Amino acid sequence: MSDSLKAMSLGLLILLLISFPTISTEWARMTAELIEEEDDPHYGLPDIWDGKQVVCIHFPQSEAPDGYEQGRKHIDFDGSEFMSDGGWNESGACIGGFSGHDSAWSLMNTAVNATDDAFALNTTQYTFGIMVNSIAGVDPSQMSGNFSGAYWSLYHNGALSMVGVTELELDSDSVITWRVDTW
Amino acid sequence: MLDAHAVAIGPHGMLAINIAMLSLIGWALWRAEQKMSSGSDLILLILLGAFAVSGRVLLDPIPNVQPVTVIVLLAGIHFGAPRAVALAAAVALCSNVLLGHGLWSLYQAVGWSAVGVAGAALSNRLYVDGRMAIGALAALAAVSAFAFDWIVSLSALHSLSSEVFLVYLMAGIPYDLLHAAGNVAFVAWLANPLSEIMTRHVAPPAPMAVRDPVSSRV
Repeated sequence: MSDSLKAMSLGLLILLLISFPTISTEWARMTAELIEEEDDPHYGLPDIWDGKQVVCIHFPQSEAPDGYEQGRKHIDFDGSEFMSDGGWNESGACIGGFSGHDSAWSLMNTAVNATDDAFALNTTQYTFGIMVNSIAGVDPSQMSGNFSGAYWSLYHNGALSMVGVTELELDSDSVITWRVDTW
Repeated sequence: MLDAHAVAIGPHGMLAINIAMLSLIGWALWRAEQKMSSGSDLILLILLGAFAVSGRVLLDPIPNVQPVTVIVLLAGIHFGAPRAVALAAAVALCSNVLLGHGLWSLYQAVGWSAVGVAGAALSNRLYVDGRMAIGALAALAAVSAFAFDWIVSLSALHSLSSEVFLVYLMAGIPYDLLHAAGNVAFVAWLANPLSEIMTRHVAPPAPMAVRDPVSSRV
């Protein structure tokens, strides 16, 4: 009993230690809850992203790519989709769990890469900075409706950003949000 | 100039160094114990405390794997609840001087004390006919891991609401599992040798004065 327990317990411990990063990450995703404080920039996001940087992309419901028409999906830093919020009043996805990005452009590119270009950007470089034309193929300039024009606008921690994506400096827990605004 | 201190050691290298140091400390304490006379229970408790503190500090890079829970459990079985509680609180305080002392220290002291008291209460079932019941001890050590972690988690109630607390406990289950697996491994490898050492130093009952049975009447 004692000798077999020695081998078994040591083997189990080593196995657990090797697989611990995966186990703890998956468990955290399984047990994640949505943040309920409305004054928190992370409101409505999974609590495992608390203190982390997040990119949210909200599409007009009628223009949303396949799979993103209803509510909001949550995609972790490694591209794993682990949670969705069908009750969210916008359509799209948030990609989060990032850290260490000083600029919104850096964070945006990392998020796009994490999702294997599912949210690929089409941009135009102007002298004043980069203009985002489309995200995931959704191009507001092609939209029609009861408005003069539409464009992708950038929000930082819930407030409209006064600078472009390349100039926007981030906090360690910034949430940047893209949504289509009209004029 | 040679500058060996500038050598970059990765986390695995550092862990290997820590395990080597813990083995050295354990061997040195074991040799010291062999030179002690039987019944030196208080000195042995100090040596066990030194090993437990060293183990907790040196194994700190491995999440939630440390020998303190099993050592306190064994101390409860062999030396009883009061000494196990003293050992538990002292180990919590001394190790937290290095790892970080705060509100949680009290909860850790209470958690490990509870483990020691459980060991004392169940000693008749865990130490049978002069031998440790290793299977039962391993099971209790695994349960103790969860109990200890949940007692320590109560400290989160100072900053979290009770509704969030259950989520907090759930989120910690992988760490509890690691603690339980570590405890079972420590029981498998350390319980018999430590039990033999402790048995040698359990103080015999103090002699009691008895009424002189010889009648003085003539």
